[in-house]
Amino acid sequence: MAQDHHDDGPSDVALRVKALESLLVEKGLVDPAALDLIVDTYENRIGPRNGAKVVAKAWADPAYKARLLEDATAAIAELGFTGAQGENMVVLENTATVHNLVVCTLCSCYPWPTLGLPPTWYKSPPYRARAVRDPRGTLREFGVELPEGVEIRVWDSNAEIRYMVLPERPKGTEKLSEEALARLVTRDAMIGVGRASAP
Amino acid sequence: MAALDPKAMGKLIATGATTRVDAPATKPKFKIGDRVAARNLSPVTHTRLPRYVRGKRGRVERVHGVFALPDTHAIGAGRSPQWVYAVTFDAAELWGPQGRGAGRLTIDLWDDYLDPA
Amino acid sequence: MNGIHDLGGMDGLGPVLREANEPVFHGDWERRVFAVFIATIVGGLFNDDEFRQARERLEPARYLKAPYYEQWLLAIQRLLDEKGIIKKADIEARMKKLATGAA
Repeated sequence: MAQDHHDDGPSDVALRVKALESLLVEKGLVDPAALDLIVDTYENRIGPRNGAKVVAKAWADPAYKARLLEDATAAIAELGFTGAQGENMVVLENTATVHNLVVCTLCSCYPWPTLGLPPTWYKSPPYRARAVRDPRGTLREFGVELPEGVEIRVWDSNAEIRYMVLPERPKGTEKLSEEALARLVTRDAMIGVGRASAP
Repeated sequence: MAALDPKAMGKLIATGATTRVDAPATKPKFKIGDRVAARNLSPVTHTRLPRYVRGKRGRVERVHGVFALPDTHAIGAGRSPQWVYAVTFDAAELWGPQGRGAGRLTIDLWDDYLDPA
Repeated sequence: MNGIHDLGGMDGLGPVLREANEPVFHGDWERRVFAVFIATIVGGLFNDDEFRQARERLEPARYLKAPYYEQWLLAIQRLLDEKGIIKKADIEARMKKLATGAA
């Protein structure tokens, strides 16, 4: 499977991308400095810490949470998180009775500005195949056992809408600051395959 | 085409790009709560209508707006902008008896993928 | 198309394999593929639906087995070749040059 691959890549692939890059630069189609900026942006500046700030603010501020559920794109932009693969956001609220789970069965659609680039498992055939068909079993693999009475809702993000889950706020966090709350929010909780951590 | 410099690139990444049409000229065919059926289509080129929903019946849950149709946008045949809806299906409708306990599934579908049901 | 990419509901693919503390990129070649992808799509050389279609047209066994960013690279290569922007043969000629240190 694709996810077994964690070395420096077959030399053919490394060589092929080098060749492609050099031709693109030579033809004036790509600026090498722009390539460096892209890598820095997605490797160092964008990631699930952004989404965690959104979730923590929603937990701490009911008016913000209402805006987030009403128009997620605008509410997320209030915190400065905008751009590619986050242009049309919808946030789904997990509650004591409803658990939302996000997948992209056809490729790897994912809300980049809030969650960064997706982990390999999210893009892998097993997750994409099974999340829609057996979401409870999939969650169990992630260590999440849903009680019988909780309804599971799967969202297949096949179009231009990008979905993010607002996890349930853990108990015993009433006195925590927004910053401390954000530290409890995991990437997996915002995909819907995990829960926020206990304080 | 000139290569984008880092400043222009950074700006475009932070703005993003969407095929959403902000002031649609058409009205949506369906409203929230409408019963719909996903069409049974098998184009040999790109589509965002997966096999597992084809022919299945669900209900419109959200009306998202107007976006380019991937089927034509992927093959250089224009944007064909049309309405997109979040359509919710019961797991049992999708998977039969084996879908029991799998709750409901929502997927975004374009006008061309849907019929009234 | 009724391709291998349309995976929803397929059985028998095994467990979801997760990597603890997974890095954003697993090697420099992944970084380069991602950067080239963003630069070429943002630069308007192709659109996202064309890109997805190019990836879906990979040979099915390869689609399941090739590393994710290799699939991206092959899709970009195919699109640029089909659009006459950079021919596949030119990429392969450049690979040979790079391999022998002539470039």
